[in-house]
Amino acid sequence: MKKIIVLLILCCSSLQVWPEEATLQNIKVDTDLPAIERGMDDLMNNCHTCHTLKYISYLDLLKLGIDKKKVDLMRGDQPLAAPLAGLLSDEAAMQMFGLVPPDLSLMTKAREGGPSYVYSYLLGYYNTPDGVTHNRIFPATKMPDPLGVSTATDPAKREELKKTAHDIVSFLAWASDPHSAERHRLGYYVIGYLLILTALLYAVKNRIWSGLKKH
Amino acid sequence: MKNRVIGWIDQRFPLSSFVKHDLTEYPTPRNLSYWWNFGFLAGFVLVLQVATGIFLAMHYRADAALSFDSVQHIMRDVNYGWLLRFMHATGASAFFMVIYIHMARTLYYGSYRAPRELMWWTGQGLLLMLMATAFMGYLLPWGQMSYWGATVITNLFKVTPYFGDQIVTWLRGDYSVSDATLTRFFSLHYLLPFLIIGGVVVHLVALHTVKSSNPSGIDLAAKDNIPFHPYFTSKDLFGLGLFLIVYCIFVFFFPNMLMDPANFIPANPMQTPAEIVPEWYFLPFYAILRSVPNMVGGVVAMGLSVMMFAFMPFLDRSRIPGGASNRPMVKLGFYLFILNMLVLGYVGAHPVSERTLLIGHIATIFYFGSFFLIPFISKAEERWLIKRGLSPELKELMEREAREKTQSQARRRSGDAK
Repeated sequence: MKKIIVLLILCCSSLQVWPEEATLQNIKVDTDLPAIERGMDDLMNNCHTCHTLKYISYLDLLKLGIDKKKVDLMRGDQPLAAPLAGLLSDEAAMQMFGLVPPDLSLMTKAREGGPSYVYSYLLGYYNTPDGVTHNRIFPATKMPDPLGVSTATDPAKREELKKTAHDIVSFLAWASDPHSAERHRLGYYVIGYLLILTALLYAVKNRIWSGLKKH
Repeated sequence: MKNRVIGWIDQRFPLSSFVKHDLTEYPTPRNLSYWWNFGFLAGFVLVLQVATGIFLAMHYRADAALSFDSVQHIMRDVNYGWLLRFMHATGASAFFMVIYIHMARTLYYGSYRAPRELMWWTGQGLLLMLMATAFMGYLLPWGQMSYWGATVITNLFKVTPYFGDQIVTWLRGDYSVSDATLTRFFSLHYLLPFLIIGGVVVHLVALHTVKSSNPSGIDLAAKDNIPFHPYFTSKDLFGLGLFLIVYCIFVFFFPNMLMDPANFIPANPMQTPAEIVPEWYFLPFYAILRSVPNMVGGVVAMGLSVMMFAFMPFLDRSRIPGGASNRPMVKLGFYLFILNMLVLGYVGAHPVSERTLLIGHIATIFYFGSFFLIPFISKAEERWLIKRGLSPELKELMEREAREKTQSQARRRSGDAK
C-alpha cells in the first residue's frame, strides 16, 4: 500500500512542470485614487480610441471621485449615464484589424493571471532583428504596440512605460470590480462581528453543556 | 394569553407535541462530535441559496442577449447586488463542501448502515438534485465556460441508445445550447431547490424515526441521549458561527478565486475556450469521464461514480457495528478513498496529457475497485476482528442484532405482521 502512495505522490510532484508559454510579471495593482486617475488618463490617451468600456459610465467616474469638470470635458455632449464607448466603429475596426477590439471593462478578470497578465501583455512587445513587432505574452495579437514599448530603448523611458502600464492596469482592475474597496471595508466589520458572535455562542454552548457533565 | 393561544392551536394542529417530539425532547446522542454539525449547515446553506437566489432573480434576465449584461448590472448598479451575487456563487461551493463533508462523515462512521439506509438513499437523491441545480445555475451568467460546459454535458446524453440525438435536442430545446436552453435552465434552476426542500423534509422525517448515529457506532442507552434543544441547538449555532467566518472570508476577500476567467467573456458559440473545466466540485467525476477512452463507457462510468455511494449498505457485509473507529480496514480504506478523490480532482483540473491520463486511469480503477472490494474486505476484516477478540459492548450488540434478526424472520414466516 505504501508503495502505491509513494508512487502517486511522485507522479503528482513531477506533474508540476507544465510547458509555460511566457512567464508573467506578477504585480499588485494600486487602489488609491491618484493612481487610478492617472491610469484613466493614460487609458483615454492610449486605448480608448479603439476599445470600449461599456460597463463604465461617466457617472461611475464621478462616483469614483474624479473631478466633475474633468468628467464633463471627457464626455462632451454625451449624457452622464453614457458608457465609455470607443471612438472606432466596429466596421472600421473589422477593416483595419479583422476583428472588433474587445471591451475592457472586465479585462483584468477575463484572463488567467488577471492584472499581471494585462500588465505583462502591455509590456510584452519587442522588435525582431528584421523589424517586425511581436508580443511575447500573446503572439497572435492584432493590437499594435499601444505604448511604444518595442521602440523604447532608453532605460528611463522604459521605467516610465512600466509605470504607465501599471496605472492603466490599476484603472482596469477598478473598472472590473468597482465595489471591491467597499467590499473589503464591509468585510472587516462582518468578520469582526462574526468573531465576537461566535465567541459568545461558544460561551453559551459551554454554559449549557456544563450543567450536563455533573451527572 | 399565550397558553390560551397555544391551546387553541393545539386543538387544531399538533404544535406542542411537534416541538416536544422533535426539539425539546428529541433524543440525541450526547457524544456527537462536530462532524455531526454539517447536516444542519447544509440546511442553512440551502436557505441562504434560496434567499439570495430569489433576490438575484428579481434583477437577472434569462435571455441570451441580456444575461451577461444583467449579471454585470447586478454586480455594479443594484444596491448590494455584488454581495447577493458573491454570496450565491460562493454559496454553491460552500454547499458542496458541506455536503461532501456530511457524506464523508457518514462513510467514516458507517451511518449509512441499517437502519439508516433510507436516510442514505434520500441523501443520494438530494445530492443528484443539488448537482443538477448547480449545473443549470452555472449556465445563467452566460459566459464562455457556462456555454461550453453546458454544451459538453448536454452532449453526453448522445450516448442514449436509439434516441441520443433527439434527447440532446429535447434537453437543449434547440440543436445547440441557445436562448431556449438558457430559459429552461433558469426555470428549472428556480424549481429544483424547492424539490430539494421537499426531499430534505423526507430526509428529516427518516432521521427522526431512526435517530442520529454516533461516533461509537453503537446504539446508546437512553441515559446517554440528551434533548436536542438546548444542547444541540447551541452546538449547531456555534458551528454555524465558525462556518460563517470561513464563508464570509471568501465572500468579502476572495470571491473571484473560484470563478473561471473564461466566464468573464460573454458566451460565443463560434469560439471554443482553450480548456473546458467544470467547477471544482465536479472535477473528480469529470476526471472519471475523461479517463475512459470510449464515450459511452465514460458517461456510464461517470454516472456510476456518483451512484456508487447508494450501494454502500449492500456492499458493506460486515456484522461489526459502527464505522471506522471499530474497523481499522475501513479506516485505512476511507483515507485512501479521500486521497484518491483529491488525485481525481487534480486530474480533472488539468488538460489531458500522457501523465494525467495514466494517473486518471489508476485513480479511476482505484475508485471503482474500492467499492467492489468492500464486500470481501468487510468480511475478511470481520473474521480478523472476531479472531482478535471484540470489546464486550460490541459482542453484546452483535448478539442482540442477530437475535432480533432471527426473531423478525420467524415472525415473518409465521405470517404475523406485527
